[in-house]
Amino acid sequence: MNHVFSAEGFRTMRVSWALLILALVAGAAIIGASHWYAQQEKRDSADSGRRLQEARARLDNARRERDSLQESADVFRTLVDRGLLQGERRLELVELVNTLRARHQIALDYEIAPQRALALAGGRVFASVDVLASRVKLKARALHEGDLLAFVDALATNPQGFYPIDRCAMRRIEVAAAETLQPRVEADCTLESITLKEKRGAR
Amino acid sequence: MRHFLYLTNTRLVSLIARRGRIVSRREFAVAGAGANAFERYLAGMAEVPLRIFTDLAEEDFRLDTIPHVGARDREALLTRKLSQIFRNTPFRHALLQGREAEGRRDDRVMYTAVTNPEVLRVWLEIVERLKVPLEGIHSAAVFSGVMLDELDLLFPHTLLVTFTPGDAMRQTFFRDREIKFSRLTPIDLEEGQTLGTMIAEETTRTWQYLDSLRHFSQEDRLEVCVLVHKNDRAAIESALRDFAQLQYRLLDIEQVAQKLGLKPPPLDSTAEEVMVHLFLMRKAENHFASSEMRRHATQRSARLAATQLAAAIVVASLAWGGWNVSRVFQLTQADQRLTQQLSALNREYEDITKALPSFGVGGSTMRDAVTFYNGSIRGFPTVASFLVPLSTVLRSHPEVRLAQLSWQVTDDAKAAPRMTVTPSRETPPVKSMSKGGEAAPAQPPGAEDASPAFGAARYEVALMEATVRVANNDFRGAMAEVERLAADIGRIDGFRADVLESPLDVSPGLALQGRHAEREAASMQPRFVLRIVRERRAAA
Repeated sequence: MNHVFSAEGFRTMRVSWALLILALVAGAAIIGASHWYAQQEKRDSADSGRRLQEARARLDNARRERDSLQESADVFRTLVDRGLLQGERRLELVELVNTLRARHQIALDYEIAPQRALALAGGRVFASVDVLASRVKLKARALHEGDLLAFVDALATNPQGFYPIDRCAMRRIEVAAAETLQPRVEADCTLESITLKEKRGAR
Repeated sequence: MRHFLYLTNTRLVSLIARRGRIVSRREFAVAGAGANAFERYLAGMAEVPLRIFTDLAEEDFRLDTIPHVGARDREALLTRKLSQIFRNTPFRHALLQGREAEGRRDDRVMYTAVTNPEVLRVWLEIVERLKVPLEGIHSAAVFSGVMLDELDLLFPHTLLVTFTPGDAMRQTFFRDREIKFSRLTPIDLEEGQTLGTMIAEETTRTWQYLDSLRHFSQEDRLEVCVLVHKNDRAAIESALRDFAQLQYRLLDIEQVAQKLGLKPPPLDSTAEEVMVHLFLMRKAENHFASSEMRRHATQRSARLAATQLAAAIVVASLAWGGWNVSRVFQLTQADQRLTQQLSALNREYEDITKALPSFGVGGSTMRDAVTFYNGSIRGFPTVASFLVPLSTVLRSHPEVRLAQLSWQVTDDAKAAPRMTVTPSRETPPVKSMSKGGEAAPAQPPGAEDASPAFGAARYEVALMEATVRVANNDFRGAMAEVERLAADIGRIDGFRADVLESPLDVSPGLALQGRHAEREAASMQPRFVLRIVRERRAAA
């Protein structure tokens, strides 16, 4: 082997050495490049697989949402018609109270508190909507409890807006002269004027 | 392709082998213009690796024993011995032949050399000048033992007789397959002498020489194997006579060639083609060529190895690259399938999205709004729905007169609505008193929560204050009426009523006060309070 690794040996074999080095470089380049290319494709393929999984998940969500929304679309249409998502309309509330008061011939005092976020039982919150409410206190007096009840019921079941009454105390007013025309029954009721507000970025 | 030279004292035979077969043969005279012709000839195949077989009269063979030592020491010992015995020639070789059976069990060695280096040097100079890759110089005599192995001529004492190009006869003696002696005799027939008689005389003389060296015992017999062509057989066979210590075996060179697979068989009795063919079958070690002489062959082997390694690297890397590319191809195909699936999924998603009912808000907003409505608003009770069934019951109790009702929607079944006690105009003759002397209140006063939690409205709770008209001092009747009223209310589906304040509280812990005038009214209207709870089982 001395004759191979001697000066003469290197000179004689320079072409072979060059060829060997060239082959090593070319081989390394081929292996490296093809491996890099394969890894790149593997990553791309993994990305594609991930995108496919995401698309499947998104489609499943869309299907569920479609099924869910189809069930609730009619309900939601009613809610929209009743103005649940249109912000609080205090003027309409005032007009409604006046109309009902006149219709049922009752004397009425009321107070609408500033609107606030309505605290739901159990601290429940919704991801896409804020529940807002204004607490309304009514003090009504009527000749007959039927008028009073009709007024309260008409307010609670009004087709526009949502005014659930959660407290109501009705009492008979004792009058000295039975023949005089004066209120015989009074009521203190509280209700919530509820609206929903879509949260920012909920769409 | 491989090139073999078979050198005798008069002829140089060039044999070219390709794929294990001898395909070309050319002879050159050793003297005269033979060297020049050979150089011209060799120049045309200077790249072909070369081996030289020597079959020369100047080859000497000597037996020896050396102490059995380690490999490095043995190498040094043999080198020194060779330089002492054959000091005038570089073409020398030591052949280890095992160990003695007795005594120190020394190593048996046979030294061989071409004692006149000049017969080789002229040819080696040509080889060196042309940088021909010389792979080795082999002694034909030493190598001829392979022939005995291949032809199964396994005798204790064998004398192999072969003929060389240039009319010479080599006799090589093997004892137990180990070469012990070899001699080349020119075939120079005297008048009246035939080749057969010459062989008989020479082999007998060799037997006598070997016997004088005590190679044989009395029972030993020397098997003389003569390799001859059938053309010479007749002339030889008739002259050979076996006797007790000597037996002749004529080996037909054509049959030998057939047995060894040598095609075509040699045309005469010379053994060079058989030797070269045997070498193609079984490689043998180099005998006489030094490392310096073989450097072109070494470099050629290294060049070939480097080239083969380079080719292997390129092939392996191409194979690896190809495998990677095939993986890429498979991945690309899989990607295409995934892309198609992805497109289909996206199309379906878009179709669903387009078909979704939209009210200008997001789907989650719609869902949350409906969830809130269903959970909290839909079915939220009204006071009227609470009072209607209650009124029905009250109609069946005409003696009961409702004074006030405080109603509340709550999730707490124990909640108590606020109620202010109504002062009674008619005080019954007997009434219970609190410690302060006032009538016991229906409930302690408390502040109303300004922002109560809005719940699922599981319960409606009401406090009902009323009076019951009974005969004066008929407290038992009043209490029974109130109990009946509570029981009747409790029979309404979902309702439960408890007497919170009885017409006359007879609890031992309270004071009881009675005031009876001389003249009393015919009836009385004692006050009572009921606590009514309605559980909304169906509330969502």
